[in-house]
Amino acid sequence: MADRAPHDFGKTVINAAALLLVLSYALPYVYLVSTSLKPAADVQQIPPSFFPDGVSLENFATVIGTAGLPNAFLNSAIVAILTTLLSLLIAVPAAYVSALYRRRITVLFLLFALVTRMVPAVSLGVPLFQIMKTLGLLDTTIGLVLAHTSTAVPLALLLMSAFFEGVPKELEEAARMDGCTRFGAFLHIILPLMPSGLAISALFSFIASWNEFLFALLLTSQNSKTAPIVIAEFNSVYGLAWGPMTAAAVLYSLPVILVTLLLQKQIVGGLTFGAVKG
Amino acid sequence: MASIQLDRINKVYGDRYPAIHDLSFEIEDGEFMVFVGPSGCGKSTALRMVAGLETISSGELKIGDKVVNNVDPKDRDIAMVFQSYALYPHKTVRENIAFPLRMAGVPKDEINERVNEAARILELTRHLDRKPAKLSGGQRQRVAMGRAIVRRPQAFLMDEPLSNLDAKLRVQMRAEIVKLQRSLGVTTIYVTHDQVEAMTMGDRVTVLKAGRLQQIDTPQNLYTRPANVFVAAFIGSPSMNLYEASLDGVDLRLGSQVITLPDAIFASRPSLRAYSGRKLIVGIRPEDIDDADVTDKRGYAEIAAPVTLVEALGAETMVHLAVDAPWVDAEDPDAVVEGGAQRTAVGRFSPRTQLRAGDRARLAVSAENLHFFDPNTRNSIW
Ligand SMILES: Nc1ncnc2c1ncn2[C@@H]1O[C@H](COP(=O)(O)OP(=O)(O)OP(=O)(O)O)[C@@H](O)[C@H]1O
Ligand SMILES: [Mg+2]
Repeated sequence: MADRAPHDFGKTVINAAALLLVLSYALPYVYLVSTSLKPAADVQQIPPSFFPDGVSLENFATVIGTAGLPNAFLNSAIVAILTTLLSLLIAVPAAYVSALYRRRITVLFLLFALVTRMVPAVSLGVPLFQIMKTLGLLDTTIGLVLAHTSTAVPLALLLMSAFFEGVPKELEEAARMDGCTRFGAFLHIILPLMPSGLAISALFSFIASWNEFLFALLLTSQNSKTAPIVIAEFNSVYGLAWGPMTAAAVLYSLPVILVTLLLQKQIVGGLTFGAVKG
Repeated sequence: MASIQLDRINKVYGDRYPAIHDLSFEIEDGEFMVFVGPSGCGKSTALRMVAGLETISSGELKIGDKVVNNVDPKDRDIAMVFQSYALYPHKTVRENIAFPLRMAGVPKDEINERVNEAARILELTRHLDRKPAKLSGGQRQRVAMGRAIVRRPQAFLMDEPLSNLDAKLRVQMRAEIVKLQRSLGVTTIYVTHDQVEAMTMGDRVTVLKAGRLQQIDTPQNLYTRPANVFVAAFIGSPSMNLYEASLDGVDLRLGSQVITLPDAIFASRPSLRAYSGRKLIVGIRPEDIDDADVTDKRGYAEIAAPVTLVEALGAETMVHLAVDAPWVDAEDPDAVVEGGAQRTAVGRFSPRTQLRAGDRARLAVSAENLHFFDPNTRNSIW
């Protein structure tokens, strides 16, 4: 037993560090949730209490009753889902081809995709506004989906190309010898090996769209407003409506948590690297 | 089943030197053809061009009577077994073997029947519902074979299919593949860098070096009538001993030693006489040298050389000899040079030999079986 002590000690330190890290991530969120559950009267109490004295769903009731918010949630969901689908539809085949044909030009292509992510969103906002205005897509779901897709595609592209590079090229060749076209090999053999890659790319695209604020603010005004915009407006509409705002924020975070939990298995497991020799 | 014809096939990757240079030959219907050669000589490239996985830079490739240069792999009706097996990891053994049939649109019942039949032949029946990751190396190799034979294709292409197996399994699978190919009668190209596989499996063997064809022949002819120095050294293990020598009438001068050549040699190699008074390369197979004290066969010439190393293997004893003639490099990039820079001749001696390192051995050389090559062209002298 004695000789195991150093090992256990090291483990304890690592666990403590991990716990500290988790707390630093989770604390603001826990505080958000606890605030949203306070009765409206306690929300602005000074000094603030970390744990509510009594649990109340008052704030949630107010939020759900707020005009425009349920609709904004629906808009957010539609935009995020469409963005995810469109991004994957564009990024997955592009990533596969760039992984299959490793040439200077494809490396350049991926690098360029990365660079577009480094341009601050603000500097893209104005031209994007002009473009959408010209196309007559201001304040439309399609317009926002296109804007979000332009930011989600590079990320999905980089992620997927890393996943595709882990697939031995003999698998595609074997499928072609077995009677597949290139596209058939991709569909029957390569894609089914990618549950994690697809799940992670889908999750990132979804979150990128769901969380997006700036473009949504610039490009929507009435019909297609998304949840973050409406939540931010709580301040102006009701003065400082902290209670309902935290409740809305909690509701707003639920889909992301839900999607993550749903895809958890694919994200963590199912790694197919080394598929050939096993 | 079909023949495969290559007509002045070239392959250039990028803008570099050709990986395959002017390759022309025909593989007959039902033939088991082996491509052999050192690493990087272009075996895989040649095979992949036949498969359609690599474009043909120039020349014409025919399968049956049809030129297939621009035919997609899926339409060539050829099955391939990869070195890495390339099994589909997300499919069970059954689904792996059934995949080519499914793609060909074969009806379900027939797929089942044919998969079961292939599994029976390859003794995979018990493993049909397992995933490749759960199989041993030998079983995976069989699944890869199953996926190939289930289709009854025009030809099988195999790229070093046994190189990931351990030695014992390799010997066993070697025999099984040959048996399977004979019973199915499907034209087969088998790539290996192992000359023992080449010799034991092939109806004929194609020897390649640096993208160029060296010789196509039956295993026996490659051994007894190698076309050049490279083939002579590449085929046979241990490798043929090659030395610079000179001919003086019927006397072959090998360093300080002289071997008197029998008439039979000049009869079978008429051009040899013209080399009198010139240098040439002489090749002696290890099995054509023995300890003169324990052999007394007629037709053996006797020379002497110091012994540098004796390796007793039980059934035979390898004796390394310091022959005092210039040693000739066969230019096989894969060759293991034993004894470092100081190349020694190797003799495959009877285990009864009493020789020890340091002895000066009296050697019986089977003069009739000596090989001769032109020192400039390095081709055999016939
Ligand atoms: N995709 C490629 N691009 C550029 N050069 C290549 C490519 N594939 C092969 N080569 C080159 O072509 C030559 C022949 O390669 P090939 O793979 O056919 O050799 P091989 O005989 O199969 O060797 P090994 O026994 O190592 O498998 C080598 O010099 C190799 O470096
Ligand atoms: Mg190879």
